[in-house]
Amino acid sequence: MYGGGNTFEAPVKADGLENEDPILLAEFEARIARGEKIEPSDWMPALYRKQLIRMIEQHAHSEIIGSLPEGTWITRAPGFRRKMAQMAKVQDEVGHAQLLYSAAETLGKTREQMLSDLINGKSKYSNVFNYPTPTWADSNVISWLIDAGAIVNQLANAKGSYGPYCRALDRICAEEAFHLKYGHDAVTHMATGTPTQRRMMQEALNRWWPAIMTFFGPADKMSTHTEILMRWKVKMATNDDCRQQFLDMYVPKIWELGLTLPDPNLHKNEETGQWEFTEPDWEDFKRVINGDGPCNKERLAVRRAAEENGAWVRRALLSPQAKYVKPLA
Amino acid sequence: MLHSLDPRINRLGLPDAPPPPPDKALLDQFETYEVFHQKKEGTAYVYVGPVHAPSADVAFLFAKEQYSRRFPCTGMWVVPTASIQLTGYVGDTESVYDTLPDDRGEVPATAPSEEAQDAAAYAAGEEDYDIFHLKKRGKAHTHVGKVRAATPGQALQIAKAVFGEQRPVVNVWVVRSADVLHSEEEDKDMWATNPEKKYREAMAYRVQDRIERFKQEQQPNAPQA
Repeated sequence: MYGGGNTFEAPVKADGLENEDPILLAEFEARIARGEKIEPSDWMPALYRKQLIRMIEQHAHSEIIGSLPEGTWITRAPGFRRKMAQMAKVQDEVGHAQLLYSAAETLGKTREQMLSDLINGKSKYSNVFNYPTPTWADSNVISWLIDAGAIVNQLANAKGSYGPYCRALDRICAEEAFHLKYGHDAVTHMATGTPTQRRMMQEALNRWWPAIMTFFGPADKMSTHTEILMRWKVKMATNDDCRQQFLDMYVPKIWELGLTLPDPNLHKNEETGQWEFTEPDWEDFKRVINGDGPCNKERLAVRRAAEENGAWVRRALLSPQAKYVKPLA
Repeated sequence: MLHSLDPRINRLGLPDAPPPPPDKALLDQFETYEVFHQKKEGTAYVYVGPVHAPSADVAFLFAKEQYSRRFPCTGMWVVPTASIQLTGYVGDTESVYDTLPDDRGEVPATAPSEEAQDAAAYAAGEEDYDIFHLKKRGKAHTHVGKVRAATPGQALQIAKAVFGEQRPVVNVWVVRSADVLHSEEEDKDMWATNPEKKYREAMAYRVQDRIERFKQEQQPNAPQA
């Protein structure tokens, strides 16, 4: 689910292509243009490999970190049925991280290195998870709307060109169908409940809306870099396209519950068919990504504690004959 | 000390600014295994993805959790990645068998009796190999059958003779059958837990009914639909 719309870019120049073998590059591009997928043992340009590793790895980290703000509510979920469902959803998300790490591994980065980079703060994950879930209603907002955003992104990426990522996303999208319904049900339950429940849901929505509007990242600077990644079917839609699609699908569903959104400028321009809104605070977004958000420290500390507390079990289980081979597909 | 809204995290007493942890050693996350599942009785086993595990038995447990938790499954095979031999990949309309040197494995003649032949072959060190085909890039490898051979290379040649008519074949995996850990027929009831978990199905959430009721209540004077 949580697959983080936006891939945080290290400044990558679109150069290096002149160092690639022109014949192999032409074959690679022709294969993608024919609609065929790329498989791990195929030749691929260094930029393609690098960008995919970054993207899939961030997606995996987002799943594993994203399970924390919802996971924190499992013990306090209202009622047995919701507790079971919340637990099942969180388990799915952690499973998605497993699938995605494996897909990234086929490109040559080991899982150990990815997990180290997450805990060291070298790799990013979706910025929305640096915010807290102070109430059950906040958890419901994630279950519904962050998942909805992620599904917009994942359905687009599932049509991308890298075979192992497509296989992982097909499975992930199939599992997400339940998440979206579960989240919608949970929000609806609160929004159509008692005045206190309604107020709680409205307040949670107000807290999360600014983060949701940044979920897909800032508008793409249409660079040569972006053009190449779109031609190679690594990037399947611009950040703005994804945001517009999300608003189109979900704002009416939010309004129909009698909830409001804390942006007086939010409306659909009937002439252009585009949603207009107050530009999110991208400076704040940058500040939080770079470590200064309300929960950055806690997220990494909890992940790190889990890794450290399990280390002795992994050491005890490791066979001395073990030999690493990256997954095949 | 790190302060969280979650009391369970506060109880861990995590430091506020710990020194950076050392990088993980290789194999901290164990070796990889490839997993195949059977969706329905009588259908072919299909590749679902990898798991990391310290042994085949644990890989099977992880695989069961990872790949059969949500959707119907009637059987599962787990194979160490290192023991899978594979061909190169060709285009979606081609057959990878065409790229093999045309040294056709002897298609076994039917004399004297098949059982006698088999017994002789196994005694001479031949083994069973499972053959998997990928029909289209981005899709999953599917089990097409078994062959008997002395080496994986020979198994591939025999697979070409036996399954080479199928097209397209983008990629072939060859696995010594002895390396496959498979679920047992007698343990079949372990796959029967999904129907108990309706809360994991989108179908279990009838949110639209509630929304319609809510809208009606909001507009008591609206004409009845």
